[in-house]
Amino acid sequence: MSQDRGHRISNAIDSLITHLIPINPHDDEQTVQERHDVCFELVRSIFEQPNSPLVTDDVNHASDLIKRKLIQSNPSQALRFSNLYTRLLSLPVLNQKWAILYLLYQLSDSLDLNEPLPLSPPILQQPILRGASRYAEKERSSKNSTPATIPEEDEEDAVSDAFASTGLKKLPLEKPVAPEKLPERQSERLFERQPERPRRSQDEEPLPAPRPKRVRDEEPPPAPVFEPAPSQAAETAQGKDSRDASTKSPPLTNHPAEVEPTEMALLRDLPFTLQGLSSTTMPFAAETKLKLPPTLPPPIISLLHTLAEPSLLYRGLGTFVSSPAKGLLGQSLRAAINNELRSYLTLVATLEGQIRRALSSLDESAPRGGIGKAGVTLKRCVVWTREATMGLRLMSLIAEESNNKRGGQLISLIHGFSSSHGDPVVAAFAERLLADVTRPFYDILRRWIYDGELSDPHLEFFVKEQSPKNDEDQKETKAKGQASVWNSKYEVVDAMVPSIITADFAQKVFLIGKSLNFIRHSCGDSQWVEAYSKTSSKELKYGDTATLETWIDEAYKTTMQRLMGLMNTRFHLFDHLQALKSYILLGQGDFIALLMESLAANLDRPAGAQYRHTLTAQLEHAIRGSNAQYDSDEVLRRLDARMLQLSHGDIGWDCFTLEYKIDAPVDVVVTEWGNRQYLKVFNFLWRIKRVEFALASTWRKCMTGSRGVLQTTEGHVLQTWKSTRGVLAEMIHFVGQLQYYILFEVIESSWTELQKNIRKEDCTLDDLIQAHTRYLTSITHKGLLGARRRQYYAGDGQQGGRGDNAAGVGDGGEDRNSYMVQLSELLRTMLAYRDSVDGLYSWSVSDFTRRQEVDVLRGGRGAGGRKAAHQSSASGDYEMGGVGDNDPLGLGLPGGVVKSEFPALQERLKQLGVSFRARLQILLGDLAYQPDVDMRFLGVSMNFNDVYQPVRRKTAKSSSGAAAAAAAGEKAANTSRA
Amino acid sequence: MPSDERSEKQAAAQQAVDILHEISTILNCHLDRRTLSICISMIENGVNPEALATAVKELRNEAQEVQFEAAGAGASTTRRR
Repeated sequence: MSQDRGHRISNAIDSLITHLIPINPHDDEQTVQERHDVCFELVRSIFEQPNSPLVTDDVNHASDLIKRKLIQSNPSQALRFSNLYTRLLSLPVLNQKWAILYLLYQLSDSLDLNEPLPLSPPILQQPILRGASRYAEKERSSKNSTPATIPEEDEEDAVSDAFASTGLKKLPLEKPVAPEKLPERQSERLFERQPERPRRSQDEEPLPAPRPKRVRDEEPPPAPVFEPAPSQAAETAQGKDSRDASTKSPPLTNHPAEVEPTEMALLRDLPFTLQGLSSTTMPFAAETKLKLPPTLPPPIISLLHTLAEPSLLYRGLGTFVSSPAKGLLGQSLRAAINNELRSYLTLVATLEGQIRRALSSLDESAPRGGIGKAGVTLKRCVVWTREATMGLRLMSLIAEESNNKRGGQLISLIHGFSSSHGDPVVAAFAERLLADVTRPFYDILRRWIYDGELSDPHLEFFVKEQSPKNDEDQKETKAKGQASVWNSKYEVVDAMVPSIITADFAQKVFLIGKSLNFIRHSCGDSQWVEAYSKTSSKELKYGDTATLETWIDEAYKTTMQRLMGLMNTRFHLFDHLQALKSYILLGQGDFIALLMESLAANLDRPAGAQYRHTLTAQLEHAIRGSNAQYDSDEVLRRLDARMLQLSHGDIGWDCFTLEYKIDAPVDVVVTEWGNRQYLKVFNFLWRIKRVEFALASTWRKCMTGSRGVLQTTEGHVLQTWKSTRGVLAEMIHFVGQLQYYILFEVIESSWTELQKNIRKEDCTLDDLIQAHTRYLTSITHKGLLGARRRQYYAGDGQQGGRGDNAAGVGDGGEDRNSYMVQLSELLRTMLAYRDSVDGLYSWSVSDFTRRQEVDVLRGGRGAGGRKAAHQSSASGDYEMGGVGDNDPLGLGLPGGVVKSEFPALQERLKQLGVSFRARLQILLGDLAYQPDVDMRFLGVSMNFNDVYQPVRRKTAKSSSGAAAAAAAGEKAANTSRA
Repeated sequence: MPSDERSEKQAAAQQAVDILHEISTILNCHLDRRTLSICISMIENGVNPEALATAVKELRNEAQEVQFEAAGAGASTTRRR
């Protein structure tokens, strides 16, 4: 078999020779045959040489070599090569694919023999070409074996050696030793060793070192790096002897290996160093310090520097990994880094395996310990650890920066590397790290958006439970109506939102979790939450942002729908809002009217005399007697009537209030603040209603009275009544307009707005709260309750001068509720007026009865008793003149009082009427300059026929002393004028 | 029988040779198909590729020399001096 194979090989050699060696037409057959034989022998001898173990004999290695070469020289071909290579791999016929590839690799870029020969002697050209090809180094291995046959090879060898040593610093230049050369080689090695000794001490200066040796070798001066070819050419011209001598001159590359400690020793220790362990040659002096042997020449030192980097980084990362982490993300970061370190250790293990194998197969006799041949050198180690070093570097950077970061910031940090680092290697690495590091974050996120629970023991999530703030803060938020379970339980920490999540998204996530939490804890619907988390809980992972987003959107939609559904069906939120509007905002007219009617008598009494049971009884009565009875029980039982805390001198009207009780989950919408606003509006409306009620009853009294008791013949009394009725009508008109404005223009329109907002398809609880707050604000603002007039004042002050300015500032506090103040003044005036009218009425009635009595007496003079006749006759004459002045009857005394009361009443009525008008005109003046259209319109509708002249405050001073005097109560006006 | 077997193998490996030839062209190996197939068969027979590469190069050098000699004795003598 082996014979067969040998035969085949010789056949092949034969054909190869015949194919390659052209037939020289000048030579005869003999010469040709001779040449053929020589060549055959040569090839044979090459083949029979002991085969050097190949560095790696796998197919990938050879292809890698080729690929690398192609990428360097011709990138476009590299792709083509990969295609061809895969096709080749799929073929079953060849057993030694790697070998063939390796052969091709060796032969690559060789001289083309078919090209026309250059004019210059080829021998000059050859070394240059060969020497320039850095990939041809291997072929040199066997050159020494045939020095006699092909002498040029030696020369070329020397050239490339010169190249290698100075130009490329090739460490492993192995020279398989041909038998006949061996002794010489060894002697060479011997005297090579000699000059090394002095060098060890002075490894600072390795470059001059080769020179003495060169001198010793009696041969040519050190070849300049870039011009070896000419010098070589010169040598060639000199002849063969010199060439031989130059061959013997030891190549420069042999030197570094001879230093102490040897490269082998260094290699042996390298795996330990890479694992961060001290070794004899390279001990770790301190935590971050590696001590290199001082005897090494700089090239090796610099190599070791490069190798020291991963070692030190590994050490640092090792301590980082074992340091206790502050939070879950810190722990996961450590775990991820640990994982990476493990793969680094795998690399080191492989390296160590390689080194071991190489060291064991070392041929001690070879120059430089044959280390180059073994295939593992320090330089290779540098190359192999290069990528790992990059990773270690990045990790230690992250580790360092992570020290004062936690949670989301940590993720942002790594994400910063993966998303905005230009180096794709770094980006990919960070991305990989991120996948591991973010795991706890996504766990928390998952718990949050599917369970509504915040399981974040180290405060790393971007949602956090609000810490109880100090009292002042809390009060402030409460005052703004922000304090509720909904708003103050959790909050988003902007700094902790990792950059893998957008702010919008974070808000959404926050809302989902908050809603779930709210459903579970405040709405008591944990079954649903549990079922929901069971059905829809998904594994969240870093990477697929789009899917994550859709999931979160889905969760968002489901949760919001559920929450709104709960609010609507179980907690009747909308019913409550409706009820608040119809009872507290006096929307339910018949109920309010009935309530007021039944309570009026009661409320006229002082506040202290009000009893809760009467109030509730009347309330019940009002409910039963009106359409309110058809409202649901759920609503009605929340309605309550009570007294506000009373102060001295109040009467029932001032303290009475209706209340609508709101409890747990709904109170996130109708907050405490909202309740207060409702109450405010109710009190205001109630007062207006009361004035209207009072005015209406008085009006009724007057109207019915005018047909009976008020009839009189006295001109000035009639006149008084007439003007009184006029003013009364004005007031009724005013109150009517005011009520219309508040109930319809303000409340109804805001209500429509609210309805529109909360019936939206994708309305969230937040939207609802916001809409409701806006609803309340617009009511309180537009309903004259909160509107400010400061702007007007400011303008006024500027025009009025400095003094006014100070005054304007002074009454700023008063100004806050200016409309409120004005309106209360107006209402008070109206009530006072009504009282006066009532007084006038009683006077008229008593006057009437007195007259009636007089009539009766007069009529009875003829037919009446003596006593009466006597009485009457006594006072009969001057009846019309001085009535009651000296009335002898008991009736005379009240008559006298009444008589004296009339002018006072008249005067008072007149004054109140004027004051009302003046105030109204000022109010209208203010309203006319309101920025709000609705409020301006109120002024227009009150003064639709221009019966009043709206007074601008600016002109109030100069225009009418009467107005100014009438507005004496108007403190603001007064002070600013002063 | 070796030649038979080789030719058979060659026929079967026709495709492989094609591919390898293309690769060698990319790599500027200057191997023609014949030489390449001889090399392949040698390697398949267990020849060390490194040695073979060396051998091929040696032979090329030899060929070059022959060509020189053929080209002119003058050039050859100067060289040989």
